[in-house]
Amino acid sequence: MDFTITEDQATLTGGVRDYLAGVHAPELLRALDASDSRRSADVWQGLTEMGLPGLLVPEAQGGLGLSLLDAVLIAAELGRAGVAEPLADTALVAAPLLSKVGGQEALLAAIAAGEAKVALQHPVNPWVADLDGASHLLSVEDGALLVAEHSGGTDLLDSVDPLRRLYVPIAPSGTAVGSADALLDHAALIAAAQLVGLADAMLEQATDYAKNRSQFGQPIGSFQAVKHHLATAVVKIEFAKPVIQRAAVALQEGAASAPVHVSHAKLAASDAAWAMSETAIQTHGAMGYTYEVDLHFWMKRAWALSGAWGDRAFHLSRIDAAVLGGALPIGPGHSFA
Amino acid sequence: MDLAYTTEQQAFRAEVRAWMEANVPQEPLVTLEREDGYHQHVEWERKLASGNWGMVTWPEAYGGRGLDLIQWLIFEEEYYRAGAPLRVNQNGIFLLGPTVMEFGTDEQKARFLTPMAKGEVIWAQAWSEPNAGSDMAAITTKAIRDGDHYVITGQKTWSSRASFADWGFGLFRTDPDSKRHKGLSFILFDLNSPGVTRRPIRQLHGDPGFAELFFDEVRVPVENRIAGEGEGWNVAMATAGFERGLMLRSPARFQAAAERLVKLFRQHEAKAAPAAREQVMQAWMDAQAYAYNTYAVASKIMAGGHIGAEASLNKIFWSELDRAAHRTAMQILGASAELRYLDGGALNTWLEGYIFSLSGPIYAGSNEIQRNIIAERLLGLPR
Ligand SMILES: Cc1cc2nc3c(=O)[nH]c(=O)nc-3n(C[C@H](O)[C@H](O)[C@H](O)COP(=O)(O)OP(=O)(O)OC[C@H]3O[C@@H](n4cnc5c(N)ncnc54)[C@H](O)[C@@H]3O)c2cc1C
Repeated sequence: MDFTITEDQATLTGGVRDYLAGVHAPELLRALDASDSRRSADVWQGLTEMGLPGLLVPEAQGGLGLSLLDAVLIAAELGRAGVAEPLADTALVAAPLLSKVGGQEALLAAIAAGEAKVALQHPVNPWVADLDGASHLLSVEDGALLVAEHSGGTDLLDSVDPLRRLYVPIAPSGTAVGSADALLDHAALIAAAQLVGLADAMLEQATDYAKNRSQFGQPIGSFQAVKHHLATAVVKIEFAKPVIQRAAVALQEGAASAPVHVSHAKLAASDAAWAMSETAIQTHGAMGYTYEVDLHFWMKRAWALSGAWGDRAFHLSRIDAAVLGGALPIGPGHSFA
Repeated sequence: MDLAYTTEQQAFRAEVRAWMEANVPQEPLVTLEREDGYHQHVEWERKLASGNWGMVTWPEAYGGRGLDLIQWLIFEEEYYRAGAPLRVNQNGIFLLGPTVMEFGTDEQKARFLTPMAKGEVIWAQAWSEPNAGSDMAAITTKAIRDGDHYVITGQKTWSSRASFADWGFGLFRTDPDSKRHKGLSFILFDLNSPGVTRRPIRQLHGDPGFAELFFDEVRVPVENRIAGEGEGWNVAMATAGFERGLMLRSPARFQAAAERLVKLFRQHEAKAAPAAREQVMQAWMDAQAYAYNTYAVASKIMAGGHIGAEASLNKIFWSELDRAAHRTAMQILGASAELRYLDGGALNTWLEGYIFSLSGPIYAGSNEIQRNIIAERLLGLPR
């Protein structure tokens, strides 16, 4: 029984964080927002050179062969930096699913090389993100997960998140590579992890703002009402993190209870990110209500990811079945089993 | 990260479970906030010690088993799983014990720790004063040096279990001219010393568990001081850290409450308000989150790390989840919630629990104070 993050994991996460802070600063988000495609070949190239698409691809296929526990730590960094390229879907959701079923060596190698991008289509989501630029599509038919090559998009929808690219789903096709549930659980977990990263970034922005904005002759961060709002959000964020890690371990090990833990993680992370976004905008005052501060990019991504991959009702219904329905043993002694 | 228990840990769990099953009283004890219940709980404390379960993480030399924090968490899970009574000596074993371990001399360790682990001496904490609650540095009760004794004069209040306990520990002003955090010392005293008067205070539930203490020239030997004269504040802050942090509120307590809440909801499902369903699930989720977090903190400490202001996160989380879970139960019980005894004459433990949960956000440093600490020390916001 050991809940610590290894030194390797801390180093990797720190490295990714520093790298993204350099190449994926808010100015980049603004530049992407001003572009037509909202996507950048240069950024993708940079992320690929850093080795990010191959994080979960097995070493034999040119990747780093990391686990889902590493994946959630990295996903949090993607959230923190507001990364909009379809990296999480391709690298952190599609890659581990494909490597688990086997027979997908070529695609995995292409993912690691940054050449393949995989879009994810699942009945729980009414829309598909980044279908346009994807080379492959994972889709669902009769509960089975299919993989197929893909090109071209359909109708582009308008998301509140300026960097999100949503499309109407297309007909499922391809060869079976697993179950729809596996896709849902992996994607929900990675969304949860991004949500805590988004929340951390919003906390940092709001804290900085509170230190620098003065009213009544002093920084607003010295006012207890502001302090307490922020402290309340910190509690929510910090207590969501171990829930995500616990879910990652359960899913990695294929535990029967993994879906419940993933739902718990998704709910905890969504609550934390949602609460943090409201706290952050309140801390910024009217400035927070503008397109001019960076905050809105993170806030809108948080709304989007909270609703995607199973909304609140969906995940509560899974907890309901397990906990109130009695399928899961609960109480002292059942922290992990 | 590895969330599987080792074979050793599983064997340990089995050992605790077997002992608890054989020894936990069948009938619930009377509340420890009353004198009769207090004595029943002291009996239980001694029984635990007879099985060498008084404080499993302490070194064997002081009546412990030298176990690590993960084993402690397993012990607590089995303790609550068995429905064992509350620890009447929690101030001693969870607060003073670690403080003496960290700051005490070898002599003090030998003198105080073993009787504590054996349940022979029950401890009360005497920090608060009528004008020094949240603002603990405002304490005025004096301990003036007179040769090899201190002479204590003044008043303490809200001292849990001091109505019946044996000894107390507290902060006193050893430098009468000092201000605020300076000039304070951490001193242990026998509650039966001449000059100590206890006035029990009836709490919200009506029972007199905590007390005001009046000191009238109480003589305490200098060797009862922990750490140096004037260093009391730092020692007290370490104790406060234990109180908010890992040890005081083991997750199993809230997991047990969440499990009971789920059962209660199932019984009353047909007439429960729609929101109750979600609140019950939230109680389970929060209790689990608290458990994961505690295991994570324990792993971190075992790997050589330590917790500082993060203890404040813990304090807020457990106290608020406890209050919410009990409030939910009260709402599910509806018109019956006000009854002190439910069907069949059983004590309405939800009512008792709800009343007690209201104190969680107040004691151990109010949650407002914890939020200040988080904002200033974790986020670096200006004072
Ligand atoms: C059940 C229970 C058991 C206790 N056991 C013990 C014990 O064993 N030993 C012991 O020494 N004490 C004990 N206490 C006392 C406890 O530590 C104090 O009640 C606590 O520190 C708060 O002090 P106070 O009651 O004087 O409230 P006050 O300090 O008067 O506070 C009243 C309200 O004002 C708020 N407030 C005060 N200062 C600030 C500030 N700076 N910023 C924002 N809000 C503020 C508080 O948060 C609170 O909401 C116990 C209390 C309870 C309820």
